[in-house]
Amino acid sequence: MSTGAAKTDILQGTLDLMVLRTLETMGPQHGFGLAKRIQQISEGVLDLNQGTLYPALLRLEQRGWVRSEWGASESNRRAKFYQLTRAGRRQIERESQDWERTVALMARFLRPAE
Amino acid sequence: MIATWKRLLAFFRGARLDRDLDEEIAAHLAMQEEEFRQRGMSAAQARAAARREFGGVAQTAETYRERRSLPWLDTAVRDLRYALRGLGRNPGFTAAAVLSLALGIGANTAIFSMYHALLLRMLPVSHPEQLVTLYRTGGWGRGFSSYPLYLEIRKRSDLFSAVFGRSTVDKTPFRAANGDRPETAQVELVTGNYFAALGVAPAIGRLFTDDDNRTPKGHPLAVLSYDFWKRRFGGDPAVLGQTVTVDQDRLTVIGVAARGFRGVEVDHHPDLWEPAMMADTDFADVNQYWLWILGRRRPGVPLAKVQAAMQVLLQQHLTGIYGNHPNAGYRKMAMDQHMEVRQGGVGLSYLRENFTKPLTILLAAVGLVLLASCANVANLLLARGAARQKEIAVRLSLGATRARLMRQALTESLLLAMAGSAIGILLAWWGERGVLQFLPAASGEPFDAAPNPTALAFTIAIALLAAALFGLAPALRSTAIDPAECIKSGGGEAGHRGSRLRQMLVIAQVAFSVILVALAGLFGHSLAALRSVDLGFRNQNVIQFAIEMPMAWKPAQTTAVREGLLARMEALPGVSLVSFGAPGLFQNGSSSGTVRVPGSEATAHEPAWVSMQSVAPRFFDVVGSSPLLGREFTPSDTAASPKVAIVNQAFVRAFMPGEPHPLNRVLSFDEKTFLPIVGVVRDIPYQGLREKIAPAVYVPVAQSPTFFGSVLVRTALPRESLAPAIRKETEKLGPEIAVSDPRTIRQRIDDTIFQDRLVATVGGFFGVLALLLAGVGLYGVMAYSAARRAREIGIRIAMGAKRSAVLWMVLRGSLVLVAGGLAIGVPISMVAARKVAPVLFSISAGDSLTFVSTAVVLLAVGLAAAFVPARRAASLEPMRVLRQE
Repeated sequence: MSTGAAKTDILQGTLDLMVLRTLETMGPQHGFGLAKRIQQISEGVLDLNQGTLYPALLRLEQRGWVRSEWGASESNRRAKFYQLTRAGRRQIERESQDWERTVALMARFLRPAE
Repeated sequence: MIATWKRLLAFFRGARLDRDLDEEIAAHLAMQEEEFRQRGMSAAQARAAARREFGGVAQTAETYRERRSLPWLDTAVRDLRYALRGLGRNPGFTAAAVLSLALGIGANTAIFSMYHALLLRMLPVSHPEQLVTLYRTGGWGRGFSSYPLYLEIRKRSDLFSAVFGRSTVDKTPFRAANGDRPETAQVELVTGNYFAALGVAPAIGRLFTDDDNRTPKGHPLAVLSYDFWKRRFGGDPAVLGQTVTVDQDRLTVIGVAARGFRGVEVDHHPDLWEPAMMADTDFADVNQYWLWILGRRRPGVPLAKVQAAMQVLLQQHLTGIYGNHPNAGYRKMAMDQHMEVRQGGVGLSYLRENFTKPLTILLAAVGLVLLASCANVANLLLARGAARQKEIAVRLSLGATRARLMRQALTESLLLAMAGSAIGILLAWWGERGVLQFLPAASGEPFDAAPNPTALAFTIAIALLAAALFGLAPALRSTAIDPAECIKSGGGEAGHRGSRLRQMLVIAQVAFSVILVALAGLFGHSLAALRSVDLGFRNQNVIQFAIEMPMAWKPAQTTAVREGLLARMEALPGVSLVSFGAPGLFQNGSSSGTVRVPGSEATAHEPAWVSMQSVAPRFFDVVGSSPLLGREFTPSDTAASPKVAIVNQAFVRAFMPGEPHPLNRVLSFDEKTFLPIVGVVRDIPYQGLREKIAPAVYVPVAQSPTFFGSVLVRTALPRESLAPAIRKETEKLGPEIAVSDPRTIRQRIDDTIFQDRLVATVGGFFGVLALLLAGVGLYGVMAYSAARRAREIGIRIAMGAKRSAVLWMVLRGSLVLVAGGLAIGVPISMVAARKVAPVLFSISAGDSLTFVSTAVVLLAVGLAAAFVPARRAASLEPMRVLRQE
């Protein structure tokens, strides 16, 4: 834990928000693109099997937060593109607030005692 | 919610979505590979690295699929597919199993749906459980009461919140304003509070109130049933205020009763209601029994209290009328009446009186049939489980859990049960029609043509029960194996326990069939006894129909109409002889009177009751029963000639035992006129084959006019070809004269013993069915055990055992099983026989002929079922068997 190199297991529920946020900033994106982007942002801290992304995407789609359609990738390959829905945007807002609250709370506990 | 729905959708598009996922993953991997290659990896390295980055492809796909769909549904479908494949591979097994289940389930559905319709279904009225019917019993008919009695009961508001009455439902001439030809409608006369007391609302218009039932013939109103309104008037609300003609009365339609309300009788459903005051009767007459009384019990008043109060009320009522009657015999008969208070919520039914017992017996019998067919299917499953033991062992050792395999086995059972009930429902429909054939023509229509939800729910419930019954033991059995052992031994040596279970099942099957066959035997023997009752006449093919003229007609008028009709009947081609009798032979209803026979002990103190018939000339000639002594009536016995009488043998036995010259004696009805006995005829059990033959007096109809009776037509033609001509003639009589359908006396007799014919025939059918199932089961077990012992038998034969000894050894095995079944089945069927004893005729519950033949039949089935396996075993070639090992 002391070394910054340690990779973190993914926290339940965080992957959803990461995917949603990534889609929000990047716009429609295929699975591979999303995986790469998430790895980039987490700067290697996150030990993510790219495959885990797909069940997560399915879950988001089932809840109506993203929708998908087949399209052509940059290299003109057939790929499935995911896109944020309006409900997804609302969900990001909700979850971001939750997170901020949680983070602020945890920060109070973790601050060196005075 | 949305997620579940999407998952359910995904479930049905599984294959396409699988392809989608594969493609998506492939695209992902390809893009990653390309990136790695661009970074300088070799193709192979890039490929491996891409997969590493991705994680387990198969695992992802599996998680994905699980997430995508509903896992339990997925496994269920996989089990279903597996079961279907398994069943498809063994069409013989599947057909046998489904068929025997269909028979068991179908029989139960058929009998239960009738039982439900007749005995369980509540009337669609408010609080049906509060309703009671007041059922009059005793010497003077049953069910109906008089109007004065109704008025007295109605005063008892301490017991009832309402008391109401209704007549029979009668087919009546009907004509609508727009009708161009005469029709008939089922009409019920009801007291004014009928609808209110039942809590039935109008669909349109209004219903009767007490104000609509005050003065005789003063309320020409009609309420239609919902069905009739829809059927006859197309549901047109303009029917309100229209005039319809019913019988002779012009009635104004004031309303239509609520949808679904079909009257209070189960067997007959009125199309139209009239106020009781419209009846052609004297409302003050205490001897006119035409009103069936129902009451709504006040909450908290126990049935027993109502019963006691009604009995007292009836006795006081009767004492008031007959207490001082000079004729002691008449008085005794009149006072011997009771009022049974019965639950009325299930409606009234004449059929219920006679049909409950046979139906209950059949319900028990079909329960046994279901058990027998479950045992049969369980046996088949066990046999197949033994054959599939190796497959199961392999699957177990490959990691399938036992629960998983059990679930698959039960899925298969469920599938069999469902297929069985689908076919069973068809069989039930057909079987119900078969049973209805037995009902007398006058029984009405108590049973729906369409299957009702309760009966269907019952079918599904018994199908599930059956699946659990026959599926569980084999499922437990076939999965409880040690895979290693089984695979080592090559799967050939099925557990000993398995075959023990099969033997027990076969013994159970034999026991079930013993019970069914014994009961069928009892009923068959009882029916044969009824059939052999001496009828006292030969011509059972005489066609008979009842006529009823208006009661108000004078004797001259009724005589003229009757004689005209008889003459026209005699003129029909193919008719040889015609006569008339009132009431007639094996008709509903009877006539009776009191006589004194001078010189007889039996009538010395008080007159005795005898059965009466008013008959026309040549009555006995028509039915084929020549007088034993004297003569029968001739056209010269007229109203003006001296009054005479004919008596039966029972009369002679009762009132002049040992008299060598009955024709020298006289009898008297009124103790003023003395009628010489001019003939003695054979006893004819015309009140029913089961009834003790009563002393009967026949008098000439010319000297004892009646407005009703039966026309008897002797012909060599079959009924079907003559009946239309008869109907055509009787239609000319006009609407005032009611005529019943012409039927042969044979058919009438069949109607009177329909319960016996029904239970004997249907019971026999079930008995044969159970025998067949037991035979199949025995054959299966014997063939299997003989095959398993082939090696042992081969060695025996090689050692010099006689082939006949081998044959006997196998047969004996089967007989032991049958003996086991008999040992269980015979005592149970003896108990069952005591239960059904009341419906048996002239044979006892311990009828030895029945039980001995049951045992013989089952032993014969045992031998027959084992014969083929036994012969196969006896003709084994030892060398071949031993070489096979």
